[in-house]
Amino acid sequence: MSTRFLYKTSKRIYKEAVLDAQIHSAGSNQQRFLERIEKDKVARSPDIIYKILATIYIASLTAIPIVSVFTMYSQLANGVNIEWINFAGGVVIGIFFLFQMVILLVFALFFSWGIMSGGPYEWIHTLPFNRKQVEKLGFLTFARSINVQLIVMTLVLPVGIATAVSLSIGMFLGFWKVLSIVLITLVLSVSNTCFNLGLLVILGRKLAIVMEEYDIASRKANLIRILTMLSYILLSMFVVTAIQLGLQQLGPFFGLNGLSVNNSILLSDILSFIPYPFSGGYLLSMFILDFNGVSTITVLGSITGFILFCIITFFVTKKALSTLRNISSPEIKRKEFLKKKTTIDDIVTKKTTPIRAFFKRDLAIITREMQQIIVLILPIMIPVYAGIIGIFDPAIKMTLISIPSEIVDQLKHSIVYLRGYVSQYTIIGNTAVNIVFIILMVYVITNTIAMIISLTNIETGGETITASLPLNVRDQIKSKLPYFFGPIIIAMLLSLLIQIRMSIFLDSLYLNLAFIPVYPILGVSGLLLKITLFGRFRHKFVVEEIKTKNKFWKYLLCIVYLILVTALFIYAAVIGYWAIFTVEAVFTILTVFAFNMMFPKKEWKIKYIF
Amino acid sequence: MFVQFFAQKKKFNFVWNEEMANSIEPMIRVQNITKSFGDVVAVNNLSFEVKPGEVFGLLGPNGAGKTTTVKLILGLLELDQGEIEVFGLHPEKEEIEIKKKLGYVSEEPLIYKSMTPRMLFDFIASIRDLDEKQSTEKLKYYLESLEAIEYYEKLIATLSRGNKQKMQIIAALLHDPELLILDEPLTGLDAKSAKVVKEIIELHSERGGSIIFSTHILEIAEELCDRIAIIDRGKLVAIGTVEELSRMADKAGADLETIFLKLTHQDESVNQIIQNLKKMFQNNN
Repeated sequence: MSTRFLYKTSKRIYKEAVLDAQIHSAGSNQQRFLERIEKDKVARSPDIIYKILATIYIASLTAIPIVSVFTMYSQLANGVNIEWINFAGGVVIGIFFLFQMVILLVFALFFSWGIMSGGPYEWIHTLPFNRKQVEKLGFLTFARSINVQLIVMTLVLPVGIATAVSLSIGMFLGFWKVLSIVLITLVLSVSNTCFNLGLLVILGRKLAIVMEEYDIASRKANLIRILTMLSYILLSMFVVTAIQLGLQQLGPFFGLNGLSVNNSILLSDILSFIPYPFSGGYLLSMFILDFNGVSTITVLGSITGFILFCIITFFVTKKALSTLRNISSPEIKRKEFLKKKTTIDDIVTKKTTPIRAFFKRDLAIITREMQQIIVLILPIMIPVYAGIIGIFDPAIKMTLISIPSEIVDQLKHSIVYLRGYVSQYTIIGNTAVNIVFIILMVYVITNTIAMIISLTNIETGGETITASLPLNVRDQIKSKLPYFFGPIIIAMLLSLLIQIRMSIFLDSLYLNLAFIPVYPILGVSGLLLKITLFGRFRHKFVVEEIKTKNKFWKYLLCIVYLILVTALFIYAAVIGYWAIFTVEAVFTILTVFAFNMMFPKKEWKIKYIF
Repeated sequence: MFVQFFAQKKKFNFVWNEEMANSIEPMIRVQNITKSFGDVVAVNNLSFEVKPGEVFGLLGPNGAGKTTTVKLILGLLELDQGEIEVFGLHPEKEEIEIKKKLGYVSEEPLIYKSMTPRMLFDFIASIRDLDEKQSTEKLKYYLESLEAIEYYEKLIATLSRGNKQKMQIIAALLHDPELLILDEPLTGLDAKSAKVVKEIIELHSERGGSIIFSTHILEIAEELCDRIAIIDRGKLVAIGTVEELSRMADKAGADLETIFLKLTHQDESVNQIIQNLKKMFQNNN
């Protein structure tokens, strides 16, 4: 069988691994996910998006070492001490190598553990492939999973540096000198790529073992998924900020001479010995500077460090190769997770009230599913973030979220300090204020809709159980109310805690107290509307989506309702406290009335209200 | 063990016999029910009754309308036409009262994957307001008999199909229901567990409980069911004991498979397929 044929076959294994990873991350929404991918072709290949993002990030971050080369030569011409330039160059390029690895790991780890679990190879053993071919398939599948990143990571730096050096002083250095710089960059790139790949394989396998040992739906497995998801967001924010700031600050940094020259030499001597990531950074920096006037210890240090790095890379690659060989083997060793064995004496039934039972069930499901946890955390995150922003001055705010400080300022006021801000501005005629209102509305509506869908989705996971249980829908809905109140109260307490020593504390407290009912009112009334539209079943209402006809229009109606009510609340807030309290009181009465009509204490009272 | 357990726990305080079953009201009465999904008529004018102490089989090829019938009895689907009574109550109006006395095992074990069996049984005990001591005792019996104790603390998501099925069966039995609705309950079970479940069904019937048993595995239906209804494309083809069905099919003494194929008019097409297969295998040789 030719390698080309095996490479083609590896596509199927790779797709299997991607699907496995997606199914695992869907938790108890697996059925919905499978239905979705049947219709949605894009949802079948999220790996392509990750590949594109990782490639763009790696490629765009390369701007930093490229700009560094230009800066190094210009600062050298400006008479800045060469030891300082070497120090700055070594550190910047070293950090670039480090982040190249982080980007690769973050964007590829999710799918690599799917490959590393060994699961996708199981059916391959039933086909007429011999052991060598299956091993080869293992390598090819892994290579396929990161093929684009691999090429970009290896080539973009040498090409970029070659261009930068040629454009800067290529004509003075001559062809052979430029070639030597390009060659050393290539060596560094290849060795870094090997090291990063090795690390990815080893970590992917470790992650697969953790997932296997602790059950795919365990809290630990979920924590890993949430951290991965958060790292996507953080990394995206970091890359944007790093490029934005890095390109602005590289010139001043290289020309800084901030440390005394002796200190920078000492630091370079120490750092250059560190095999990863600094020895490579220093080696490249010194090649660019042509070794002129650089400390001998730094030269020796970076060479020693790099040799050590090559040895480490050799062992990492060797370990990775054996791991890859093992995962495609039918005798893959799956560690037995040593857990205390359950005995008959451990079996005890504990009952509680139906509302508590529903609440505990929902909590058990929510805390084990990534999407559900994120929905629960989201309402807490932004008010707390806004509270934190309130502590910093405008300059830092800008770097934090990379948007103009003026808007950040408005955002802060509108979320946790709306009253104070309203006294300074009016809605009409102020673009920044209107943007803030839009952000606020989108935030509130997205949270509410996500929470409603999340809480109703829980019901679809256990149809057999709910179908046969004598459920009281009133209790079922009541058990969900704490999820609308809890996060917003936690958010309020946390944001107040952050501001406890600030002058705005009292105003913030009043404002928070005034705004607390908004989220539960929106949530509960939105939930009732959704149940009315989707859950009308003969003479009663159920939480599950039964009437799925015109789904799009029904959801649109829910969103329009939430937009209108949110706008009303915001408008009331602009008028004053009395207005917001009045609107809240009216909506609370209406919501309670609707709830009692839809889910009366005695079933015979049920009537349609919408 | 089960005989002892069930003997101790006789729920219905009278000695059960066939004469009594004939003299009292049926547990389930299904009259001329029809259910369509768009243009597809899943159940077409179906009628039958299930008496107390009876194991009633719903038999039919895949897509015959068995699961739809079960869901209509449970009140999970709206009827287009006809009427259903369970314990003399209407599933549409007195759903909670009916479900208090009913246990259901579905074809696919759709139980909360993010829970452990411990959490699941606690949840069921809470909703059904069961006595803690009695539930614990029953749970121990069932888990031990189905060799599922070791899975009690594991996440349901990680259990095999068979072990999920065991948990689903236990969940349906925990409150000693008078009526059991079992949709392919033996799917995924190993031989020993399947034997235990069959024993449970028989013991449940012996003490006066009714069972609706939906399956397409004819041997099991033949072994367990007192009466069988054969459904094909939503319509009732035949109803009766195995002997009565064999008479209807003019296949006296034949096994249920032969009777079933004859009554659902699949016998000729099956014979044709077998002939073709034989030819293909002969050609290959």
